[in-house]
Amino acid sequence: MNAIAEPVEHFRTLIDTLAPSLPGADVEWLALQRARATEHFVDQGFPSRRQEAWRYTSLERVLDQPWAPHARPALEPDASDVSERQLAPDAVARLVFLNGRWLPGFSHIDALAAGVQVGSLHETLQQHPERLETWLGQVARTEISGFTALNTALIDDGAWVQVAAGVRLSGPIELLYLSGGPDTTAAHTRNLVVIGQDAKATLVEHYASLDDAALFTNSLSEVVLGEGASLEHARLQDENAQARHISNIFVRQGESSHYHGVCVSLGGVWSRTEYHNRMQETGAGCELDGLYVAGDGQLNDVHLDIAHGVPACSSRERFKGIVLGRGRAVFDGRVRVDADAQKTDAHLANDNLLLSRNAEVDTKPQLEIFADDVKCSHGTTVGQLEPAQLFYLRSRGISDEVARRLLCLGFATEVLDSCPVDGLRSRVEQRLQKLLAKSPVIAPGIEE
Amino acid sequence: MLTVKDLNVSVEQQPILEGLNLTVAPGEVHAIMGPNGSGKSSFAHVLAGREGYSVTGGEVRFDGADLLELPVEERARKGLFLALQYPVELPGVSNMVFLREALNAVRAARGDSVLDVPAFMKLVREKAALVNMAPELLKRSVNAGFSGGEKKRNEILQLALLEPRLAILDETDSGLDIDALRVVADGVNALRSPQRSFILVTHYQRLLEYIEPDYVHVLSGGRIVRSGDKSLALELERRGYGWVTEGAAA
Repeated sequence: MNAIAEPVEHFRTLIDTLAPSLPGADVEWLALQRARATEHFVDQGFPSRRQEAWRYTSLERVLDQPWAPHARPALEPDASDVSERQLAPDAVARLVFLNGRWLPGFSHIDALAAGVQVGSLHETLQQHPERLETWLGQVARTEISGFTALNTALIDDGAWVQVAAGVRLSGPIELLYLSGGPDTTAAHTRNLVVIGQDAKATLVEHYASLDDAALFTNSLSEVVLGEGASLEHARLQDENAQARHISNIFVRQGESSHYHGVCVSLGGVWSRTEYHNRMQETGAGCELDGLYVAGDGQLNDVHLDIAHGVPACSSRERFKGIVLGRGRAVFDGRVRVDADAQKTDAHLANDNLLLSRNAEVDTKPQLEIFADDVKCSHGTTVGQLEPAQLFYLRSRGISDEVARRLLCLGFATEVLDSCPVDGLRSRVEQRLQKLLAKSPVIAPGIEE
Repeated sequence: MLTVKDLNVSVEQQPILEGLNLTVAPGEVHAIMGPNGSGKSSFAHVLAGREGYSVTGGEVRFDGADLLELPVEERARKGLFLALQYPVELPGVSNMVFLREALNAVRAARGDSVLDVPAFMKLVREKAALVNMAPELLKRSVNAGFSGGEKKRNEILQLALLEPRLAILDETDSGLDIDALRVVADGVNALRSPQRSFILVTHYQRLLEYIEPDYVHVLSGGRIVRSGDKSLALELERRGYGWVTEGAAA
């Protein structure tokens, strides 16, 4: 392993090298953003465990390689690589990326309603950067960590989705992010999604590996919802067991808009997902459903930062974790209700199923409430399979192994049921069965 | 079919069963009655293989096999079925999936082919009608949010689907109103056959008005203290348990 002694220095050199060739390098507002982000990055570097948000998450397993973008991957995907990983066969538009770079050959963006734009951020930055100026970098808070700063400093490619006011899409938009070796390849994917007033859309993302190479994805998505807009936004992170993955999702919600996020995180040796939702106008609603699985040797980390800044918004977060073998999971869910945010309705739930004696979860739900007329709740559980439930299944002739699998799938059902597209649901169900079959489940109290 | 010889069982060093003997032949219906704490439910659970009970003596043979050596699922596959007093809720596990997995596991053990989905659906609807169970309960999570009566019907539905050799009903009448009790009893009666045996564990005589037993046993102090025909149940109803259990102690 090529450990890097000075990761910040490594990436800074990389930024300096890449900057002139990034799309829109000569566009003033963009150059300024990248420069500021670079400054942030160099100043603050990567987070340390002394920071509360990183207390349970070491960066040793992500900053151990000289990550760099590779223009030409070892493996070019073919049509079956893409079709096998599709989650929404009825997608009205599909963008496929390889190591963070758009692959026009596998994408289809035809048959879109008027007022809908789906395309590559890279292309748009080169040809029509002015279309992005209003939003790009305006929702993300680049300064929150070295990862977000690095992503912004290297803004290059990703998805650009815009649905004009009043448009209701007839099918989902699908984004497929493939990654493939050589080792040490990094993708700093950047997405921008703008849903106009009263528009309605479904967006499905899938992060998947083509091989077993050790890759790093540092993705950042900015999502803007106009007044009355509604977005179903599902994500599946199912990269290989060597992958390092961090996704930051920033959502800004207008009046009476509705955001429903479904976050399924299964892959990677080190994986972290952060949601940063801002409800800035009254009547907005945010729902997040999540499932994270950490098997042997995996770290799976979820952070929520949900901010109620104005009155009468609602949020509901429900995350479930399954930890097997020597897996580790972290759930840090923070919901902040500002003093002005009266009549807030906020409910946060996190349930964890530990399937072995060596499985570990750190869960930290936090409600910070500064208003006095609110309805808020939070609850966390960490448990094992119930012996009475196992007995019941086995007493009907079902084998111990199948009984355990049924109970684990049952545990995940609420999240599976919340998937906006069937293809995602069935994919996750299949993957879960496989992950559970691979990792022997240990009964409570029995030595491994 | 079932021979229980001098069975001794304890829970956390406390003796629960002390020398229980029972023989059940094919086609017979045995009622096991007794006061609270007499070990009736424990006996049912020991037969099904529930954890937490230590067998300290005796043996149980079921169709020639040493029952107590078999894992829980093997007992079920050999044709032993326990309808629980408190059926367990399985949130998120679809009743349909549960029933199909169970049926196919038992069928495989009997050497029957796996039922495909349409064939299974047809069968399960047929059996659900037998216990007057609403079809939407098949789509819900197993027992989750079911009423007491619905849970019991779901137990009898499983019984009807799995067609065991020996069915043990643990306090199936508890918590049932008279209409539900009649439905459950009708279901059980429809499943009686010369090859299938039943053990009804019950505190009250009421259930036995609907399911007529061949034998009635009184369990007290961890052993059977009196056996008779159905008239014994009527006598217990009239006189209580005191006269039998005191007589046994004396």
